[in-house]
Amino acid sequence: MFKLPHYIKTRIKTKTRVMRIGDWCVVSAGIVLVVVLFQQLWSHEEATRVQIRLGDTIYGTYSLNQQRDIQVQGAIGAATVSIMNGKARFSQSPCHNQYCVHQGWLSRSGQAALCLPNQLSLELIGETKHYDSLNY
Amino acid sequence: MRKGLRPLLIVAACCTAIWGLIAYNQPQLYHSQSYVFGTLVDISIYGEPEERAKTLTNHILQDFQHLHQQLHAWKPSTDKQAHELGALNAAFATGPKPINISPRMAEILLDATKLSQQSNGLFNPGIGHLIGAWGFQRDEFSAVNIDKAHINNLVKTNPRMPDIVIDNNTAYSKNPNVKLDLGGYAKGYALDQAADYLRQQQVNNALINIGGNIIALGQHGNTPWRVGIQHPRKPTAIATLELADGWAIGTSGDYQRYFMLNGKRYCHIIDPRTGYPVQHTQAVTVLIPPQAAHSSQAGVLSDVASKPIFIEPMARKSTIAATLGVQHYMVIDQASQAFVTPEMQTKLTWLDVDFKKHLHVQATTLH
Repeated sequence: MFKLPHYIKTRIKTKTRVMRIGDWCVVSAGIVLVVVLFQQLWSHEEATRVQIRLGDTIYGTYSLNQQRDIQVQGAIGAATVSIMNGKARFSQSPCHNQYCVHQGWLSRSGQAALCLPNQLSLELIGETKHYDSLNY
Repeated sequence: MRKGLRPLLIVAACCTAIWGLIAYNQPQLYHSQSYVFGTLVDISIYGEPEERAKTLTNHILQDFQHLHQQLHAWKPSTDKQAHELGALNAAFATGPKPINISPRMAEILLDATKLSQQSNGLFNPGIGHLIGAWGFQRDEFSAVNIDKAHINNLVKTNPRMPDIVIDNNTAYSKNPNVKLDLGGYAKGYALDQAADYLRQQQVNNALINIGGNIIALGQHGNTPWRVGIQHPRKPTAIATLELADGWAIGTSGDYQRYFMLNGKRYCHIIDPRTGYPVQHTQAVTVLIPPQAAHSSQAGVLSDVASKPIFIEPMARKSTIAATLGVQHYMVIDQASQAFVTPEMQTKLTWLDVDFKKHLHVQATTLH
């Protein structure tokens, strides 16, 4: 090993003691990159949620990773939306024909159940959607 | 300023700048869902500021609401202006005396009559009495007692669209048994109206879905709009396809409005020749390219053209499709087998493995 001259050693020390603007930029860019990648890659993998819409508004978005019943007051009465271990469904509805209840459990992203009389809809979201709109 | 704060400030500034850039690059998609037309209306507008997209959407929804009142088939006509179709039906029933109709109604009736004739009467919006007899002219419907004699009598009265005489914004019916129900036309008409309005407003990218019938304007950013096709028996999509600028898609299915009686399914699509709901088909999807001006438009055709194909038995479906000029279509029969034309097959991306495995690709018969 060769010995560094004394004046170079002191110069390196002074330069590393304080971080400069460029360093802060690199650090902050790094932080942002991590956050963005986390959001893009991590949350989309795991999170599966159910979105309940009432009329033209979003009533609420709930995690599917729970077991609970949600009472929603629709246009004609109270309906029950059940969430259980990654699935969701209409389990009770005041509508006459009960199509929404017969739709059964929804479990994949993009699946939807609709109750026209009660103006309620369920949609599973989370993973990337396969399409922009559904033809039925 | 104290020296210790400065680095923090710089970090904050950098973060804000980068987040700003990300937000700017986010797709500018406005999405709205409402209940109009007795069904779900779903509008996506891409590339417009949110406020403008909201204003445009509200305008479209108001137009839909107005059209819905004008064309509603079974609301009692309390207000003449609002329920034009109700008033017209009442006039038809009393005898061949002309009454005034709006220019819009005249335009709709002429176009619907032309399409009815083109489909050999299989698309027949004049069979309102039959649809009512089966209980489908209600917001909520349930199994009805099937009155064979009544249905046979209604078929014998032979209500046809050409029975309606339209002249100079007046109309009358030569046959008092004609009762209009534009349920198979109005949604498609509304799609065309909305698409025209958005084009006038220089909106280049939008996707409009009225009760399952969809029309596309432009595309979704760098990629075309993509739509899913509903599985007739499950709450999922069986396939997706790209809907290019000006194209429309529509499905007639036995799963949208139906009732079950003694284990049999009775859907809202009625064969005007027999007076009975069609039971051999689960769904027919048609894909319609942009049409020339002064002919029926893509939205209307996406609504209308699927009905005659749905009604005809399997062996005759391709003939009627050819008569209507429909090249892209898919049929799902009662055994859940899918039949597609080669033109349609090239557009589809299958999601449902079972359907894909048992797929039948059949060429359209030529005239």
